[in-house]
Amino acid sequence: MNKKELPVPYNEAERLAALKRYNILDTLPEHAFDDATKLVSYICGVPIAHISFIDESRQWFKSEIGIGVSEVPREISFCQYTIMDTKMVEIPDTYLNEQFKDDPNVVDGFKIRFYAGIPITTPDGHNIGTLCAIDQVTKELNDNQRNALAIIAKHVMNHLELGTKHIELNGQKKIAERAVLAKDSFLANMSHEIRTPLNAIIGFTDLLAQTKLDTVQRDYIESVQIAGENLLLIINDILDLSKIESGNLVIESEPFNLKKTLKHVYNLLKVKVPSDVEFNLFLDADMPEMVIGDQGRLNQILVNLTGNALKFTQEGEVTVSVKLVNETDDHYSLKFSVKDTGIGIPENKLKTIFKRFTQAEQSTTRRFGGTGLGLNIVKQLVELQNAEIHVKSREGRGSEFFFVLDYKKADYAEIAAASSLEENLGKLKILLCEDNALNQKLVKNVIYNFGFELDIADNGQAGIELLSKNEYDLILMDLQMPVKDGYQTTEFIRNEMNSHIPIIAMTAHSLVGEQERCYSVGMNAYVPKPFKQAVLLQAIKIVMSKENKEIFKWKPDYSFLDEMSCGDARFKQEMIDLFIEKVPLEITQLEKAFNNNDYETAKKLSHNMKTSMSMFMLDDLTHYLAIIEDEAILGQFTAETADKINVLHNAVIEVVEYFKEQG
Amino acid sequence: MRIVLAEDNDILRKSLSFFLESKGFTVDQFSDGQEALDAIKENSYDLILTDINMPGGSGMEITQYVRETIGSNIPIIIFTSSGIEQTELDSFDIGANEFIAKPVSPAVLLVRINKLLNSQIK
Repeated sequence: MNKKELPVPYNEAERLAALKRYNILDTLPEHAFDDATKLVSYICGVPIAHISFIDESRQWFKSEIGIGVSEVPREISFCQYTIMDTKMVEIPDTYLNEQFKDDPNVVDGFKIRFYAGIPITTPDGHNIGTLCAIDQVTKELNDNQRNALAIIAKHVMNHLELGTKHIELNGQKKIAERAVLAKDSFLANMSHEIRTPLNAIIGFTDLLAQTKLDTVQRDYIESVQIAGENLLLIINDILDLSKIESGNLVIESEPFNLKKTLKHVYNLLKVKVPSDVEFNLFLDADMPEMVIGDQGRLNQILVNLTGNALKFTQEGEVTVSVKLVNETDDHYSLKFSVKDTGIGIPENKLKTIFKRFTQAEQSTTRRFGGTGLGLNIVKQLVELQNAEIHVKSREGRGSEFFFVLDYKKADYAEIAAASSLEENLGKLKILLCEDNALNQKLVKNVIYNFGFELDIADNGQAGIELLSKNEYDLILMDLQMPVKDGYQTTEFIRNEMNSHIPIIAMTAHSLVGEQERCYSVGMNAYVPKPFKQAVLLQAIKIVMSKENKEIFKWKPDYSFLDEMSCGDARFKQEMIDLFIEKVPLEITQLEKAFNNNDYETAKKLSHNMKTSMSMFMLDDLTHYLAIIEDEAILGQFTAETADKINVLHNAVIEVVEYFKEQG
Repeated sequence: MRIVLAEDNDILRKSLSFFLESKGFTVDQFSDGQEALDAIKENSYDLILTDINMPGGSGMEITQYVRETIGSNIPIIIFTSSGIEQTELDSFDIGANEFIAKPVSPAVLLVRINKLLNSQIK
């Protein structure tokens, strides 16, 4: 056979660059392309059709019917000629065509008799590939068929363009996500840097206030205390916002005393009431004493709203009221309202007051201070509890903010657990692991004030040595320490020493996800620095009462199973036993599958476990498993997958323990 | 009324079966799609409840076999946990009468079963 001169477009380098842009070579089959190929075959009535792309050395088939190979060398392809052209190349009978009659594809191979190929042309004019209809008998297309081919080729090109846009968008999205992450960690780090010294300022001021002072000194100290607290509030506001935005703010669901919480808010703010203002707290007689929900966030919302009301009211009254508006078998709906007779809000500003950094008037900021974050946080906190905040106001007459929250009813076991916190702790022996000398001194003084004993270790390693020599009731653990940090130390205590001693994390870090990490390595409580004495004492009380009666973080909910079992206790227990028998085994298998990147097994296990978790309404765990299942389907685990499996592992142990304790 | 229940999660399968039996149904339960299908071939049932992903054979395959090969119009309810619309459409497309998202609410399931059985009698 004669050696033929092979056709190469004059702008081959640019053409190849254009082809590379679409990232299409050697990709998996896609429906859109396969559909287009099928259309070509239907419309032209041919047994062979394909969409292909031509690079330096080969013709690669993105989609094909009747060819059966994924690529052929460029020099034997018909289409190398088609991409030289701007329009369709149609050869009704290859035997009659001088150029092709001896071609190996005609005399041999595919035995091509009829060929119609149309270049796939990029918007900037490069023919990167072809769309072809081929038959082994002679044929001639009519104008409609030719038009259809041209239209399909254009559609294929549009689809390729969309693909590149999609890649670009994904890139932009990643950049945006990284920027948000950077902002979050910047905020968290900044607040860490500010909180550490503030910790010392507030702590030592508290201690100083407890010493003997004259009137002037007391006045000064109180001013320092107020300033310190205000600064802390602002930092907390900023931190809360970053947590809400990153979706890391979790609404707790714990039993708490509603009446006490409201009285606490009232007492806290009573000191700030101007002399001409009457400050009232009205509680509905039907209001329940104990409910299950997030005490801290309710506190925060009410302090914020009431604080505002007092700030903007010169005379008249500020009233906080709570009313039971609805009650079902397992829920209370309570309406909380904060009403004042203050300056009010102009009607055209009612919508914007909940926006960030805006107050009703710019001048308000100058006159009354504040960050402009408070109401935005209140709004988001209310919304996180599946409610809505409303405001009614008349300028010069006053304002009312109100919202209705649903709280679960507390059963007696939970009330008992909560009230057992009140018990006397006696003389506790406490171990502090902390490297910062200032903080050591501060904690020491506070702990002595509580009447407990304290030993101090400069780092985790030293702490472990002390713990192995002496008996302690609990450990206060800083997270960042030299030699062995708080996480490593806790892991060692839990896994190597097999000790269940309560551990309270103390950290100025407030990084997102940190609290979860503390719990997942086995710590029992978390106290943010700068710590308030009352908060630390409360945490100590909680972990010490947990010692006697375990309070579970992952608690199965039986209501679904109860419905299924129609109240049959024996059957219910059977299902619980099945869970105990099955799920711990599965989580170990899942861990193994994850470590071996065995996606198929991980997919099956996570899918099955998901259903088991949902039977006990362990929604977060179900959700985690759904994510792992999705990742396994995609064949791609991420950095967080290991964390999720870790959380699941601990949660399963805890749930099983809970079952056993109940059973 | 005799029901086939195909679901590979033991806890959910046993619970559903217990629930339905307490409501007066006879339930034949299977954790393997193929075994469920074999039973369907051999016996006469009034209703099929099936999960999608199972070892041995999927709920889709069961539905397709019942509709196309056996040619029966026995009511079929498919459980889905994926929450993806496509699954929903597919299950109707191949001839399922209902789909119910997991976790399956017993009360909802009962209502749907009775609705399907009633329309079948008419």
